[in-house]
Amino acid sequence: MIKSLKLIPLLIITVILSGCSGFGVAGKEVTVGGKNFTEQYLLSEMTAFLLVEEGFKVNQMNNLGSSVVRSALENGQVDMMWEYTGTALITYMGEESIADPEAAFQKVKEIDSENDIHWMNMSGVNNTYALVMRSEQSEELGIKSISDLSAYINDNPGELTMAADAEFANRSDGLPGVEETYGFEFGSGQVRQMDLGLTQRTLNNEQVDVSVAFETDATVRSYDLVVLEDDKQFFPPYRAAVAINQEVYEEYPEIEEITARLAENLNSDIMRELNYLVDVEGQSVSVVAYEWLVENGFLEEE
Amino acid sequence: MNRKKLIGNMVRYSLYALVAAFFIWAISNNYFDYIFTQSETFLVLLRQHIVLVLVSSLLAILIAVPAGILITRPKFKKAEWLVSNVVNLGQTIPSLAVLALMISILGIGFQTAVFALFIYSILPIFRNTVAGIDSIDKNMIDAAKGMGMKPHQILFRIELPNSAYSILAGIRTAVVLNIGTAALAYVVGAGGLGVWIFTGINLFDNGFLISGAIPVTLLAILADYILRKVEYVVVPKGSRRIEKA
Repeated sequence: MIKSLKLIPLLIITVILSGCSGFGVAGKEVTVGGKNFTEQYLLSEMTAFLLVEEGFKVNQMNNLGSSVVRSALENGQVDMMWEYTGTALITYMGEESIADPEAAFQKVKEIDSENDIHWMNMSGVNNTYALVMRSEQSEELGIKSISDLSAYINDNPGELTMAADAEFANRSDGLPGVEETYGFEFGSGQVRQMDLGLTQRTLNNEQVDVSVAFETDATVRSYDLVVLEDDKQFFPPYRAAVAINQEVYEEYPEIEEITARLAENLNSDIMRELNYLVDVEGQSVSVVAYEWLVENGFLEEE
Repeated sequence: MNRKKLIGNMVRYSLYALVAAFFIWAISNNYFDYIFTQSETFLVLLRQHIVLVLVSSLLAILIAVPAGILITRPKFKKAEWLVSNVVNLGQTIPSLAVLALMISILGIGFQTAVFALFIYSILPIFRNTVAGIDSIDKNMIDAAKGMGMKPHQILFRIELPNSAYSILAGIRTAVVLNIGTAALAYVVGAGGLGVWIFTGINLFDNGFLISGAIPVTLLAILADYILRKVEYVVVPKGSRRIEKA
């Protein structure tokens, strides 16, 4: 008898915990995944706001590396996310780069249908990689494009250093691919790897000469950096689109409509603007996402 | 007694088997390949890692041991709580936060990482120094005074030799922790083997993960082993403790 009394608190806890998941409206629940940079926090946050508005219970899994969030999407731990066509095509599927955004999107959609992942709502956000330098130094050394950079490095090996995150530094569509396509190589001691959020700051502090950046990065403007022209078109388009687990998509087809409005209204310029508010002005991701949604009539101001 | 031995041996050999199984699994999947295919990079990272640990540990020893000695002098006894709390604080701030905070002051790279690791290593060394000196039998100090020793003689001939075991234990703890924590140096661009560990995490590539993590583990074991040998040399015979198996 005494023994069974000890079990009562455990029972109560179990009942409470299991009750938590039972209160949702007909239990509509999705998990939205996101990667580890500002634009992804914003996209994930906006999506969550819109889904909550439509009566979903939303779990967020943010701040993951690309390959990590991809695995989570494949094994169902994440139901949906904003993924980039270029990343999927080259990094996950090992295909050749396709320059036309629409064709790339269709190709990805076709391949991923075998993995039970449905692609939809390609947006105008093109978050392609870029290499950036400080304007003055690019003037000084006469480096305007990646070909110029390649020529300079081959003439002066060991002089220039580069800041990159671990992902770009080791991804086949990242630095190794750029080096192969343009025919140059940074030495192993010259690529300083660090958290993605610090790369351009390091460049701005003149601790390195070249940094990785995204096309939609706000810091490019605020730090007076120049994007080196990708004259051999190595970097494919990286259009943000919704990748969703096939079963979840069939269960909640309304997600397509909810996210379609978002995809139609977003483009690279708007994204850069929003990234600027977070990265440079230091506003919180939730606030920026919410205000943009309210301004554009997605949500009613509460 | 015999039964204890038997259980001890069983545990030990099953652990050995686990370690062996892990290595067989890792090698059969070619997870150590990067160490050989990118040996140049590996050596750069290894050197950065070792330098980070050495510099920050030496700085911590140079600061923490004298501070521990000072604080146990009768003159400064009153200030012990204050210094202890400051040192404690260093340990309680998450190391990642220290890194982030120091970026704005020291910039990005080596200095920042060294500073964070240094802050992190002070506490165990300081604590053990103070505890070691405090635990010395007061009668021994009295006897030394009775023989006419001066305070500095008491310090170097009685107190330090008798607390050497404790101080070295602190240093060992600090260095082994430090080697693991130094993997975070990647975040602020200070290199080290953490680069491969984080690459492995971000790209979901076990090869990078294991090529980075196992050398870190081995470094920690090696450092522990070396410091044990140092202990054997430094600690006087009389106060050597018998290791309880």
